[in-house]
Amino acid sequence: MATFLATYDFLLVSMVLAAVLALTLYLPLMAGQLSVASPGFYALGGYIAAIMSTKVFPPGPGLYPVPLVLLEMAVAAMASGVLGLAVGVPALRLRGIFLALATIAFVQILGVVALNLDVTGGAIGIFGIPQPFSSQIQYMWLAIPLLLVSMLFIARLERTRTGRALVALREDELAAAAMGVNPTHYKVLAFTMSAVLAGAVGAISAHFINTWNSRQGTFDTSVSLMTFVLVGGSRTFVGPVVGGLVLTALPEALRGIADVGGLPGWLAQFLRDGRLIIFGVLIAMGTVFFPHGLITPGLLRRLGGRGRASAA
Amino acid sequence: MSVARAAARDGAAGSASDLLVVDRVTCRFGGVIAVNAVSFGVARGELFGLIGPNGAGKTTLFNLITGLTSPSGGRLRYRGEDITGLPPYRVAERGIARTFQNVRLFGELGALDNVMIARHVRTHSGLVSGVLGLGPARQEERATREHAGALLALVGLADRPEERARNLSYGDQRRLEIARALALEPELLLLDEPAAGMNSGEKRALSDLIRSVRGRLGLTILLIEHHVPLVMDLCDRIAVLNFGELIALGAPAAVQKNPAVIEAYLGDEA
Repeated sequence: MATFLATYDFLLVSMVLAAVLALTLYLPLMAGQLSVASPGFYALGGYIAAIMSTKVFPPGPGLYPVPLVLLEMAVAAMASGVLGLAVGVPALRLRGIFLALATIAFVQILGVVALNLDVTGGAIGIFGIPQPFSSQIQYMWLAIPLLLVSMLFIARLERTRTGRALVALREDELAAAAMGVNPTHYKVLAFTMSAVLAGAVGAISAHFINTWNSRQGTFDTSVSLMTFVLVGGSRTFVGPVVGGLVLTALPEALRGIADVGGLPGWLAQFLRDGRLIIFGVLIAMGTVFFPHGLITPGLLRRLGGRGRASAA
Repeated sequence: MSVARAAARDGAAGSASDLLVVDRVTCRFGGVIAVNAVSFGVARGELFGLIGPNGAGKTTLFNLITGLTSPSGGRLRYRGEDITGLPPYRVAERGIARTFQNVRLFGELGALDNVMIARHVRTHSGLVSGVLGLGPARQEERATREHAGALLALVGLADRPEERARNLSYGDQRRLEIARALALEPELLLLDEPAAGMNSGEKRALSDLIRSVRGRLGLTILLIEHHVPLVMDLCDRIAVLNFGELIALGAPAAVQKNPAVIEAYLGDEA
């Protein structure tokens, strides 16, 4: 167990953080809005943590204090929330694919800005971000609670007045409006909640990856997150979580298969490096064969029903 | 009393005491005039029928009243206030609820959830208090569930609260839409062909349902319906639209004998 954790520490924490990021895509989707803006807020959160921990609270000897990481997460979340509100109000006038395109553009713009500012370290970025833990696996102390709180939040949200308004918009925006739901208000709310969460994840990631630059939180991340949600499932928050966990582990698993040997060289190479190609194929297949993802509310009901039946 | 007075002033274009006043409302889609300078008033407590051949502009008129479409001209007044051009959710907040000709339920959601969503304007829990399950939010949630359950019972769907809306029969979907509209506690209810696709037994039950909710909840109802016996039987007054124009307005018996109405339905040769 200890050797397993030590070998796969980076992967395990990445899986949990990916699951939280997948939830940032799920929140706007609850209201029927396909936004891939969260990598932008993730990048922003990372820069805020990187700048705060290297410039505002310059590292002393020993480990960086965890409470300061929490403070950075809070600041990153708030800043992302404010930016999310500012971007969301105009962007959410757009519908469907146009919103997706606008959010892709937003991610690109943030990347270019980060690349050209002094405070973000330009192309080199910010490196030597101090470590709050002596080993990577201990980042689980931040990642796991964040994932659990996010899941609990969304599970509760689905059973509240606010959550029902979001889902009503997803099901039929016009009918929801005719029932008194203000579409813009609730879309912006979902978008802002997503931004807040993505900013917090970025703050953890900056410490975890140790360096932060404009290659973090790009369109590639958008595609990955979209895969997590579309393949995992977009109609229950369990889908994105499972999608994030499994699909983050998948490239490592494929690499393991490639290393077993006996495979043709080109196939081994593809298994090692073809992550985005494989994700692309999964998205394409998913939209045809399981448009609501692998994990659906119906599936969960059946599993729950069997669980209850066997318990009785 | 007010109903009788309204019925007496056949053809009049609404008075200040009316709950809803449609005042020379016009709606153009490109070169097509879907609704042309239509005026009438609906009195408090009245059951007002809207009939006319296909494409006469009835549903467009509903969309104009509920804010789904903005009029090209004219004014809409509700309780004496101008509601012209308000977004749909604002119209709903003011107490105007509707059903849709081509049923628009939240298909993936259960029957009870469909009705609970429509309690939105009558409930107030915010994001944080809701998620944390604080006392008032928890109480409101319970009350919402009970209210929605009672409405399901009213329309005869009490035994299937978890059934997904898309799996219900057509008639049940139409009844569920009525329950959902009633969840807004509207003062004015707009029913767009509620009997479409129902058999004669279901139609009779629907008539009884409309009559009973009207009496019990003190509703004012605007009803689009093709099934003439149902309209004649239920409505205090009827307005007839043809090619976007109001061609007749009055008590059912009078409208039925109106030559313009006969011509609209049967053509010139009649």
